[in-house]
Amino acid sequence: MNNFEELASNWKNQPEIKPTEKGFHEVLNGLRKIKNEQRITNAILSSTVVILVGFFFYISGYSSQQVISGISIMVGSLLVRIFLEILSIRKLRKMNALANRTDFRKDLIGYYKMRKWVHFLWTPLIILVYVAGFLILLPLFKANLSNGFYTYIIVSSIVVLVFLSFFIAKQVKTEMSNLRRLQNE
Amino acid sequence: MDSANKRYKEIYAAHYAKVMRLCLGYVAGDQDLAKDLTQEIFIKIWQNLENFRSESSISTWIYRISVNTCLSNLRTLKKGAKTIAIVDVPEMIEEQTDADKEYQLALLYACIKKLSEINRAIILLVLEGLPNKEISDIIGIEHDAIRTRIHRIKSQLTKCVSHEQF
Repeated sequence: MNNFEELASNWKNQPEIKPTEKGFHEVLNGLRKIKNEQRITNAILSSTVVILVGFFFYISGYSSQQVISGISIMVGSLLVRIFLEILSIRKLRKMNALANRTDFRKDLIGYYKMRKWVHFLWTPLIILVYVAGFLILLPLFKANLSNGFYTYIIVSSIVVLVFLSFFIAKQVKTEMSNLRRLQNE
Repeated sequence: MDSANKRYKEIYAAHYAKVMRLCLGYVAGDQDLAKDLTQEIFIKIWQNLENFRSESSISTWIYRISVNTCLSNLRTLKKGAKTIAIVDVPEMIEEQTDADKEYQLALLYACIKKLSEINRAIILLVLEGLPNKEISDIIGIEHDAIRTRIHRIKSQLTKCVSHEQF
């Protein structure tokens, strides 16, 4: 029969854990990785905007109201989505890791509740608006592109949309299950 | 190495073992998950080091970051699957061999994993030998309430390790 003192003694007598030089360097590398990830994200966002703007001028999009509407709607919805993601990441990073666990848990619940709004209101809305922008451009694609390329655009867009929806659904499931677990404590 | 790095390295060397033990307790002894969590905790320690004021001990401060980091990694913890099923544990032998110690520890990990996340955090701090007052500060529950809770968790854990249900 174990009593708690025995358990505590087993805990104290577990094999010694020693810090290693390699482990320390892994932490420093982890810090570098975070900084690099931020730089990469910024680079991707900037280049996406540059490419879209470049494409707009390349096809002389400014001369057609239809192109302006289609691209503006698509880019606008993408920008809203990116803005919401940046906001979420900032909120998560700014969470006070030095708070006591009870306060930290409240913050974490607040974060997941905000994510709930993003997932169940904003994301479907953004996808719908994005698709609407794409549909506005579709007649132009049909008129100006070869049949093969036009089919490619349609098929690849559907594949991307399905893949994206699957990815988002998985993320939503994880986050909502975390929220439930935190609330049920 | 500059002075900030040097200080950080000292903190890492002095506190690594306790953080790793706590993480191992959280993830039921899964070394890989515990190492990942420990790394994330030390990254947060580095990011917050300039905010550390000597109002509380650095140890309490590090435990706060550790407990909160483990809480925000709920999904990872749930996936920590390398645990033993209590029913599969062989009969104990009297002599305390290394294998027996290992078995005892695995059993303890399995029982800690059965606790709710908050109780897991509390009991790990108890096992690390922290006084109730400090645990109360880290968890954010009144001192009296934490005392009662600790009593209850101790009893649950002891029963579980003795192969009883709770």
